Amino acid sequence: MHNGRMLFCVFLIFVASTAIYLSLEWPFNAALFPLSVSIPLLILASTQLWQLLLGKEETIESAAVDLEFSSDVPPEIERRRVITAFSWIAGFILSVYLIGFPLTVPLFICCYLRFETGVGALATMAATAITWAIFYGLFQKLVHLQFEQGALQAWLGL
Amino acid sequence: MFDAFIDGLFLVLQWKAFGLMLVGMGLGFCVGLLPGIGGAATLALMIPFVFKMQPAEAFAFLLGMHAVAATTGDITSVLFGVPGEAISAATVVDGHPMAKNGEAGRALGAALMSSLVGAVIGAVALALAIPIVRPLVLAFGSPELFMLAVIGISCITSLSGAGARGQIKGFAMGLLGLLVSTIGQERQSGSLRFDMGMMYLWDGLDFVPVLVGVFAIPEIIDLTVRGTAIAGERPAENLRNGVIEGIKDTFRHFWLVFRCSVVGVFVGILPGAGGGVAQWMAYAHAVQGAKDAKDRERFGKGDVRGVLGPGAANNSKEGGELIPTVAFGVPGSGAMAILLSAFLIMGLSPGPDMLTKHLSITFSMVWTLVIANIIAVLLCLTILDQLAKVTNIRGGLIIPFVLLLVFVGSYTANGQITDLIVTLIFGVLSYFMVLFGWPRPPFVLGFVLGKVIETYFFISVARYGSSWIRQPMVIFLIMLMVFVIAYPYIQQRRQRAERRANA
Repeated sequence: MHNGRMLFCVFLIFVASTAIYLSLEWPFNAALFPLSVSIPLLILASTQLWQLLLGKEETIESAAVDLEFSSDVPPEIERRRVITAFSWIAGFILSVYLIGFPLTVPLFICCYLRFETGVGALATMAATAITWAIFYGLFQKLVHLQFEQGALQAWLGL
Repeated sequence: MFDAFIDGLFLVLQWKAFGLMLVGMGLGFCVGLLPGIGGAATLALMIPFVFKMQPAEAFAFLLGMHAVAATTGDITSVLFGVPGEAISAATVVDGHPMAKNGEAGRALGAALMSSLVGAVIGAVALALAIPIVRPLVLAFGSPELFMLAVIGISCITSLSGAGARGQIKGFAMGLLGLLVSTIGQERQSGSLRFDMGMMYLWDGLDFVPVLVGVFAIPEIIDLTVRGTAIAGERPAENLRNGVIEGIKDTFRHFWLVFRCSVVGVFVGILPGAGGGVAQWMAYAHAVQGAKDAKDRERFGKGDVRGVLGPGAANNSKEGGELIPTVAFGVPGSGAMAILLSAFLIMGLSPGPDMLTKHLSITFSMVWTLVIANIIAVLLCLTILDQLAKVTNIRGGLIIPFVLLLVFVGSYTANGQITDLIVTLIFGVLSYFMVLFGWPRPPFVLGFVLGKVIETYFFISVARYGSSWIRQPMVIFLIMLMVFVIAYPYIQQRRQRAERRANA
């Protein structure tokens, strides 16, 4: 976790440094705001990294006014589940890219419920059908959202 | 004036106007629940339907829809941690942790009742402001609007952890948000910044994919990791009692709800500030109200005050936004700009006529805001029992549907797959922010306010040179900003002194 905290600071320093470097080539008006934001960001992220390198731990009162992840799951299981969750999300986006939204919706719901959650085949089919009907009726027929064609369909000329 | 006030009520209660308001409310209810499809987009979709309506009917239909979308947006924010509307993102910070603590009913009751109170205060402000709005709006030029946005940014001190380390992290995240807001074409010179050669980035990043990614993805990851229902293994809450408790909370903290409603009205009046700012300023104000460090620690972990503040401000700003729209034809937000087109379709020109000749129509808008919100909240309260049960369903059964909502919502921003990638990128960034204890609210505040600050700064300099900073209202706002920044430190010193005195 300590290394992760330091890596996050390094990431912020990298973002701020890149912004400063790129801003230097722009006209004054365009560069003023990014420069006046990224220079203090660089200083603050460096300060935080310095504190971490010195081994100064944060106090409870400096905790963020924000969500805290649950800590009652063993780290190894946690890591595996995080990777699984991000894989499903990335898979969803890849599927939208390849076959488009309308086909991805039933496919994703069906695969997730069947393979990740372990729902029975009949219930999965029913949930998939209902979801697809709502998606089609609401977003395509009622709201008329235009969904891009998938790359695969475009390639096959469908 | 009193006659016009009563006439306005009767205009809304006519069967046709009332029926159309109910239809609009039904649409607004669905739109509010769906992330990404904002109230403004739906208003635009519904504009063609108002051509054959009378003015009072058209405004009952459109405003009924818009007012309810702001109210029901809080429901998905609380239940799933996915902001139903961009303006309900702040409700996620404490509303969803409450649902995870098994208090979904209480959070929803508080969100809805504070929304109702906020809407009524906004409508009353609209009614009262009619005679005095002119000098107020004219007193705010670009330098004052710039300073107001800077005050919004200074709220970061309240949204960050206490102590030097907490403040460093908070300000760093605020600056990162400001930096992200600079992506795209610079408005003064037309230069492209951080566009990475992608045309998608020329217009800058849209709020919806970024906000949905920042708030929804870490919640989904957390739910997956826990492998339980949203409310965990806790026994199901007594929902009716929870909802009643939430309603009582609104009145227990009525002074906070009132103050946050005033914040919402004020931000709503000022063109360009937007609802995104109102909710975060209200949230920061709620955090500032913490009695001590221990009390403050409860924010972000499921404190009902963190739900009441943004809930009230979101709805009161509707009344506030209508003030400059009706009085000057200066829309306070994108939704109001669309509403302005409805005025023109109806053959009404916003301005003095709306405050004299068509005063009863102006008051019908006030009544629509009040009546639509009362009906919406009463309806929601009757179905909350069923809605809140969602938090006791196994996470694995909910996640695919929430993911679907998240990505369809983010796709509606530009209709491009890049929207989904932006959501994922900010979701990953936000995951690490939460994991390593960097606060997300300052990032969002910086992102929302970045463009406003830069635009008004350049307009101020171009219009007034360096003299803009010497204007009396600007000096007052600078003093106010110093107070907003210093207040948490003053509070800490006072608490330390009290502790020493007690010891």
